[in-house]
Amino acid sequence: MRPIERDLLRFKEIVRGEVKKRAREFLTREELFGQVEGRLVSIPLPQLELPKIVYGEPLEEGLGLGGPGTESLGPGGHVPVAELELEEFLDLMGEALRLPRLRPKGEGEVTEEAFRYTTIARKGPRGLRHVRRTLKESLKRALITGEYRPEEPLLVPEREDLRYKAPKTKPRPHAQAVVLFALDVSGSMREEELRLVKTLSFWITLWIKRHFPRLERRYLLHDAEAWEVSEEEFFRAREGGGTRLSSALLLAEEILKSYPEAFYNRYLYHFSDGENWQGDTPVALEALRRLLPTLALYGYAQVQGPYGQGHFLEDLKEALGKEEGLAATEVRGKEDLPLALRRLLGG
Amino acid sequence: MRKELRRWAERLRERALAEGLSFPPVLFEEVGPEEMAMLAAYGGFPRRYPHWRFGSEYLRYRETYRYGLGRIYELVVNTQPVRAYLLKGNTLLAQKLVMAHVYAHADFFQNNLAFKPIPKDMHEEMAHHASFVERAMERHGARSVEEFLDLALSLENLIDPQALYIQRQVEPQEEKAPGRLQVRPYLDPYVNPPPQPPKEAEEGASPTPLPPRPTRDILGFLARHAPLAPWQKGILEIIREESLYYVPQAATKILNEGWATYWHTRILLPLLSPAEALEFAELQAGLLAPQGLNPYRLGYLLLKEVEDRWDKGRFGPEYEALPLGERLTYERPTGEGLKKLFQVRTIHTDLGFLDSFLTPEFALRQRLISPEDLPRFAEAKQALLFRLTNAGYPIVELVDANYGNRGELLLEHAYEGVGLDLKKTKAVLENLHRLWGRPVHLKTVVGDKETLLSAGS
Repeated sequence: MRPIERDLLRFKEIVRGEVKKRAREFLTREELFGQVEGRLVSIPLPQLELPKIVYGEPLEEGLGLGGPGTESLGPGGHVPVAELELEEFLDLMGEALRLPRLRPKGEGEVTEEAFRYTTIARKGPRGLRHVRRTLKESLKRALITGEYRPEEPLLVPEREDLRYKAPKTKPRPHAQAVVLFALDVSGSMREEELRLVKTLSFWITLWIKRHFPRLERRYLLHDAEAWEVSEEEFFRAREGGGTRLSSALLLAEEILKSYPEAFYNRYLYHFSDGENWQGDTPVALEALRRLLPTLALYGYAQVQGPYGQGHFLEDLKEALGKEEGLAATEVRGKEDLPLALRRLLGG
Repeated sequence: MRKELRRWAERLRERALAEGLSFPPVLFEEVGPEEMAMLAAYGGFPRRYPHWRFGSEYLRYRETYRYGLGRIYELVVNTQPVRAYLLKGNTLLAQKLVMAHVYAHADFFQNNLAFKPIPKDMHEEMAHHASFVERAMERHGARSVEEFLDLALSLENLIDPQALYIQRQVEPQEEKAPGRLQVRPYLDPYVNPPPQPPKEAEEGASPTPLPPRPTRDILGFLARHAPLAPWQKGILEIIREESLYYVPQAATKILNEGWATYWHTRILLPLLSPAEALEFAELQAGLLAPQGLNPYRLGYLLLKEVEDRWDKGRFGPEYEALPLGERLTYERPTGEGLKKLFQVRTIHTDLGFLDSFLTPEFALRQRLISPEDLPRFAEAKQALLFRLTNAGYPIVELVDANYGNRGELLLEHAYEGVGLDLKKTKAVLENLHRLWGRPVHLKTVVGDKETLLSAGS
């Protein structure tokens, strides 16, 4: 290995260590949230700078020499920025936060076709002629017709013996997933709680996507009724009326019908302050009993606002606590995020 | 190297020599972008001690090239012979331009006074340093050596830029006991181990102050006096030596690039075929783009100005006495331009060069300043000179190594109206404290108030 590669490896190792060390901090860094689709994640690493005694204020240029691209002279330098592939970044975060690996449930739907020269045809361009198979055919024919003489094993292929490599589209099974987020907008979800929801759903999405590159996302809101919205609308603060958690579950059930269990790993996440209408809890639990076996995970996050103590988390745990696929947790503030995230992903 | 290129190298060399440049042999080598990025990260040398900082720089250069954001056309290393790397895949004309440019750099290295005390076998030095650090890593663990390097590198700029000049005159055997072997400073503790570790109490009681005079050579002082293991002292020496090696290059960037640009233009222009003229103009325009403080542009224009003025006799007391308006038309042809240029190349660093020749006339003509701003000229010039002083780093001296009679360090920042970056400065003081083992203080000015920053107390 060339020395510079050794230095580069060491640098990358340090960057990885830094990401893991600061995983909790990255968790709430909203400027990352835009990068879901991007391939690279930029990570400013002031810690990696070798500090020096330098001037605090940028030195005055003097003499109209300013303008863009001022560099190359003097100290200062740049804050080191490391760029990591999104996948690598996620894996490091996953490692640091001990996020569980997600396993695909069934086969997944047949989706992609790989184009490979894996079959043999009788016609084709000369360049793709398959010599061994052609001679094999020739040999077969010679044996059948009795022309073959072991003492003089000369094979002369005829037109009908010619064989060619041919492409074949080969279906490849691809695990896919759908994730449905439901948000309770009744009463007390404020900016701050909404931010927690946003953070959680961002990382949940990324982590599921890490395991199922083919991921569809759906969003719905509810108070006493549920309705589907776009991703942007999902995160807009608002207030509504009373609460029926069941409304979301029933709508989710409806939506998930277009994602058959056999082909999709189905994830359903539900954020609420847990204050459900008294009479509704049994209905909601009943709906969940039906839904749970068909889901990869049902994640329920009870986000505590400053007022009120929701009950649903307790009711849920009491009724379905033993069921597989139930991931319920409480989030009171930023410091709960790492654990909540792990729980919601089934860890 | 390609045959055609080699022929051109020879031809350009002869022209450069005929024009009066003088330089040691120059070895050209064509390298690909990755290797160029590696060399740039390593400051021009293929072998450096292991450190992640080089990896980070390498990545930056490599990506910059990959995304088409910039390329390094050439890299010259001040050694004997001079080594110059050309970027493979450049057009023949670009390579010719670069080679002519490189010969002028080689001339500058050889003749400019700032480079006089610089060792010419730096390849060997760097390789020694690399193997010293590698051995230390084997013996004491890669991580602990790396940690120490991180510490030491944060003190990289705490050197005395003049140290190399001073050392040669003042370093008689004062401190050295008889029977000592002369070796590289960082090997000294191994070859000539101190008879006894110096005792703090004794040092505290010593009648002569330490250091005897305030010194800017803080790295050198620490290498001699800090309570460190020999390999740690060795590393401080290495960082110091390598830092000193790059001092003249930083101090002459504008003049050196201006000089090289002046000469590649002068050497190459008469040789251009009509087809090449356009490409040359394009390259030249890129090089001299008025972007920020472009050392190529400023250096080149100012040298042309000097040549022009001395050709026309626009110097001397008689000329200086004229009012600005008359100076612009004054003429007393002498043809001394080129002679003056060679003198400037020999004696100046950027600071003296700009101080002497950056006049209001020049600034006006090159539109560095607008006529309305002319009254501010002196101030603006001062700001520029300040930026170039000490490579733009604050000047810090070690005043007392036994501050308060407690063996603490007292440093002093020569404040000139611009404050320090407090966060970084404190981090450096922490590092110093870890090295010195006792509290460390820095006297500076924070928001108009004299302040003592401290670490470890």
